[in-house]
Amino acid sequence: MFSKAVSYEVLWHSAAYQAVDASQRWIVVAMQQYGHELVTMLWRILGNEQDVCDAYQTIFLRLAYLEDSRRPQWVKAYLFRTASNVAITVLRERQVEKKTLSAMSRMDEPQVVERDFDARHLAESLRRHVAQLPEHLRNVITLRDFGGLSYSEVARILGISSGTARVYRCKAVQLLALWMNKEECQ
Amino acid sequence: MRLLRFRDKTDSCEGGSATSRCKRIRQHLMDSASRRFGPEASWVQKHVASCPRCQRRLAAMARVDLGLSTIKSQPHSLDLLMRANSAAVRMLNHRLREAARDRRLEEARPEPRLVEKYAAYRAAVMNVAACIAILFLTKAGIFSSFDKARSGGQAVMKQYYTAQAGEDLAGEVFKS
Repeated sequence: MFSKAVSYEVLWHSAAYQAVDASQRWIVVAMQQYGHELVTMLWRILGNEQDVCDAYQTIFLRLAYLEDSRRPQWVKAYLFRTASNVAITVLRERQVEKKTLSAMSRMDEPQVVERDFDARHLAESLRRHVAQLPEHLRNVITLRDFGGLSYSEVARILGISSGTARVYRCKAVQLLALWMNKEECQ
Repeated sequence: MRLLRFRDKTDSCEGGSATSRCKRIRQHLMDSASRRFGPEASWVQKHVASCPRCQRRLAAMARVDLGLSTIKSQPHSLDLLMRANSAAVRMLNHRLREAARDRRLEEARPEPRLVEKYAAYRAAVMNVAACIAILFLTKAGIFSSFDKARSGGQAVMKQYYTAQAGEDLAGEVFKS
């Protein structure tokens, strides 16, 4: 079963490699190398499969159409930073849409929203607050907790020291805790 | 003194072994710091047990940790990577084709009509066409037919004048 899955994957990648223009084949290689980690990170940030596919496409299109068609020096860093930014943009858009829709439904008929503690509510609330974090804190949280990268990798990608990355994460968690606590009290 | 000795030791380290040693020491320092000053430290626990404000803070931070773990543990469908990859490759191909077309459109200029394009050669073309027409008409014998018809007509007219006005007058009119 596993070998079958692996062979399908190999087949898919070779087909994709052939399908893409020769000048863009390095993108397929990057997709093959970092695709799994990127999809996992996007899924954790967005929590919606269609949004994940859209954001994933956007990331690789940006990579393919970089200014002067140059290949970035460190592809992984570029991909993860772009993924973080794109995902947060998509997340904010969805939140605005949700807000508008909920406002409209509230105008139509008053509904009582149950705010029971459940995993989904908690995850949604956390995502919403992560999108509101200042950029330097948000980058660390997304790369470290959603992207699953080590502190040294996060530090290298963001161009900061490993210690600074730890401090930023700590601050981000404190801020998230404060906001979530406030929301809970309201 | 101890610090100095430690520094001497680390300075004397070289290459990969030094890096791994540094890493180990750093890790050890962090572990001991979190043991002594982290939320699990006994003096922190003692304080938290009696301070409602810290209890609230710790609970909120635990909630964030729980949220992060929940997000991490939520599985996505197995074929999500495959779908995302396929869509991205499709989009890349599509955009490449579109890009070629876009480039053509970017470079496109208004093309002149055929008549405007060859206006300079119009007179020459007309002359050639006229020559070809004359040649064709000559070849078809149309000019000789015209001559025949004219001479035939003249003969008929001469005959008419001879009958009506006399041979002398007809001879004078049709002298040639």
